Amino acid sequence: MGVDLEQILRPIDSPLAPYPPKFMTVASGETLVIRQVDRDEIPTLLLHVEPLLHVERDFYDVVAARVYAELLAHYRYRMQDEYVLVGQIGGHLAAIVNGRTVSPRQGMSLHTLALRRGLRIGAHCFAAKMEYHIDILGQDEVLIVAESPIGFRRWMIEYQLEKRFETPHELGGVPSYCLTRALFDRARSSLVVGRRPVPPELLAQAQAGILPPTDPPRPPADLLAATRAMYDSTGTALLLQRGRQELEAGHA
Amino acid sequence: MREVYVAGIGITSFSRLEYPLAEIAAYPAMLALRDAGLKAVDQVYVANMGSARINNQTALGSAVVDTLGLTPTGAERIENGPASGASAVKQGFLGVAAGMYEAVLVTGCERMREVNNLEATDFVATMTHPLAEYIYGVTLPAHAAMFTRLYMERYGVTARHLAMVAVKNHANAMLNPFAHLHQPITVEGILDSPEAFTNNPYVAEPLRFFDCCPVSDGGAAVILASREKMAELGKPLIRLAGIGQATDTLAVFERPDPTDLLAVRRSAASAFAMAGLTPGDVHVAELHDAFTILEIVESEEAGFFPKGEGHLALEKGATALGGPLPINPSGGLKGKGHPVGATGVGQVHEIVTQLRGDAGERQVAGAKVGFTCNFGGFGNNVISMVFVREE
Amino acid sequence: MERQIHAYACRRCGALHYPFRMVCRECGENGPHEFDPVPLPKEGTLLTFTFVHNLPAEYEVARLGLGVVELSNGLRMLGQLDIADPKLGMKVVGEVEVVRREAYARRYGMVFRAA
Ligand SMILES: CC(C)(COP(=O)(O)OP(=O)(O)OC[C@H]1O[C@@H](n2cnc3c(N)ncnc32)[C@H](O)[C@@H]1OP(=O)(O)O)[C@@H](O)C(=O)NCCC(=O)NCCS
Ligand SMILES: [Zn+2]
Repeated sequence: MGVDLEQILRPIDSPLAPYPPKFMTVASGETLVIRQVDRDEIPTLLLHVEPLLHVERDFYDVVAARVYAELLAHYRYRMQDEYVLVGQIGGHLAAIVNGRTVSPRQGMSLHTLALRRGLRIGAHCFAAKMEYHIDILGQDEVLIVAESPIGFRRWMIEYQLEKRFETPHELGGVPSYCLTRALFDRARSSLVVGRRPVPPELLAQAQAGILPPTDPPRPPADLLAATRAMYDSTGTALLLQRGRQELEAGHA
Repeated sequence: MREVYVAGIGITSFSRLEYPLAEIAAYPAMLALRDAGLKAVDQVYVANMGSARINNQTALGSAVVDTLGLTPTGAERIENGPASGASAVKQGFLGVAAGMYEAVLVTGCERMREVNNLEATDFVATMTHPLAEYIYGVTLPAHAAMFTRLYMERYGVTARHLAMVAVKNHANAMLNPFAHLHQPITVEGILDSPEAFTNNPYVAEPLRFFDCCPVSDGGAAVILASREKMAELGKPLIRLAGIGQATDTLAVFERPDPTDLLAVRRSAASAFAMAGLTPGDVHVAELHDAFTILEIVESEEAGFFPKGEGHLALEKGATALGGPLPINPSGGLKGKGHPVGATGVGQVHEIVTQLRGDAGERQVAGAKVGFTCNFGGFGNNVISMVFVREE
Repeated sequence: MERQIHAYACRRCGALHYPFRMVCRECGENGPHEFDPVPLPKEGTLLTFTFVHNLPAEYEVARLGLGVVELSNGLRMLGQLDIADPKLGMKVVGEVEVVRREAYARRYGMVFRAA
């Protein structure tokens, strides 16, 4: 009888209360549904995370690489006590957030990946994650780090997080910040929103399948643009206008 | 004075640009030169507000002219706060009108996203009165907010009117590939839904996130030329027919009526007088909507609507694309973005595009007369311009 | 000693200026610096106000109250507000306090409270 090695390697997840889905209206007037996904849906998420590995702006590449690893490890049972929430608009993927529990009292926020920008969708999903730890799982505090300046402003400043620098965070071993229950209660009214229950048709649409993001951050359109203009999503105005002028010259 | 025409235009995306500032000025300049069919000009004017402070670079004129390979042509940088762009266009105009130059390049550029938003906010605030305003922590949104509160009180402008400006300009920006924000928004999403105030938090009460322009990088350029030069180039004849500039007290609280923007009123009046036209002749306008309230008030002070009635015209759709006087078809500062030194030149870029009939989906049908208002400081240095298409 | 902020009275026409300028805007007749400093009154009426949420980095508060006050002598000034729920037209009284710290420098300005 050989030893079942897989049984040794596979972590045993502690039971986590499920996150009750919620919905809200975002600035565009569209409806965002935030819900927990199960393992079966992870491969679909991986498909949409992968292209972001090549987007340098705002550290999308670093975050995407780590999220990819965390999702894959979750899917193939190589990470303990991880959960994944997604934000969807009309079924389309708009954000992925994940985290894990360190102990019954303490949570660890892992990543917030916004696939649609400028609508505070990342902020809403981050707030949902904090709500999960504090309100649903009843934890006392959540350890947090930011990998991009935008994240820093959103989390550290808007929530006025406490420093917990003596504890290295699992992401890169950097000093942690901490959201305590008291801080969360203070932010609750202004930052944590959403309505429950989600109307059944809306939830059914979200659960029917995770559709591709409608306007994800993309790598620059052109190699020249990649070195000269990482952030210029039009692939530099130069190229765009040149194309148009050539088109016009062709017509003439 | 000789007549002066816009011979060529160029622009970059207004967004976040990751190349050096001199190149942000040079890309649109190259496009404008190519558009005009020119390889050289007699003088280069570079509009920029913050290079010394945010990008640690001075003497930008020299850097830009060299980047363009145009040495030994004369070049200088012009700084006049957020009105730097229009100031530089005005200097270019004077050079050609006076007969000193036949063709000049005016290029505006800003790279504010090199620093984070906290530093950008502080940088922008340095245009306020150093002792009577800046030291208190005043920001430009704060000035606009205190002004908005009075305007709401006196004229019945509401948060809904402000939101309507934002929704309109975001929608226009969707039609402009160079705009910073390509995100449609709705009044429901930013004002009415239970989550609206989290989507749209206060920046300076009563102004919210979607009442403010974004912080952008970007460049825009125009070539100005004499009539003789235009004859050689064979481009559409868009004449810079009127320019007016006016200043007001540096400390905003010193103004006798705090709901007036006298510098807008005066600069627009002189621009129209110089052009021999009236506000009623204008078909399309680009106004300086750094804050939603400003589009409403400038539309009054420029003479398009009576004082205190700009928001009523807005309500009726008068300023929408397809209305009788489309305002900010480019998306304005709100949607197109606000790289401070480039903004004034960017406004001219849009008006020339409109008067040439090249604006595509956002074209204002039959536009022959256009107006721009570039608003520096909080209304303490304003330049208005009138453009006319000649056949 | 009570700190003061000064207005400047033109020696030719008596017009009061705040903030300082070198030539009188009313008469334009005075030479440079022909002004006498006059302490600004500290009581006045609140004309308009805001709470700023997006502040430069050196402010460690979530929001900062600012307002324009019409002082009892008719001059206006901007100041910080230490008032939780300001109302247009309310009576306020100011005190000169530190309003900003820049590196090692402390800047003094008027902070208004409900009268
Ligand atoms: C309103 C403001 C405080 C928001 O700043 P912020 O929360 O730091 O926003 P960020 O810069 O992180 O932007 C995040 C995203 O939100 C969106 N966004 C930013 N500002 C926006 C605005 N005002 N309206 C709509 N969307 C905006 C953009 O899509 C941006 O994405 P990008 O990084 O791809 O450009 C800031 O834009 C501001 O200070 N504006 C006023 C500038 C000013 O005073 N200019 C001078 C006037 S004369
Ligand atoms: Zn005098």
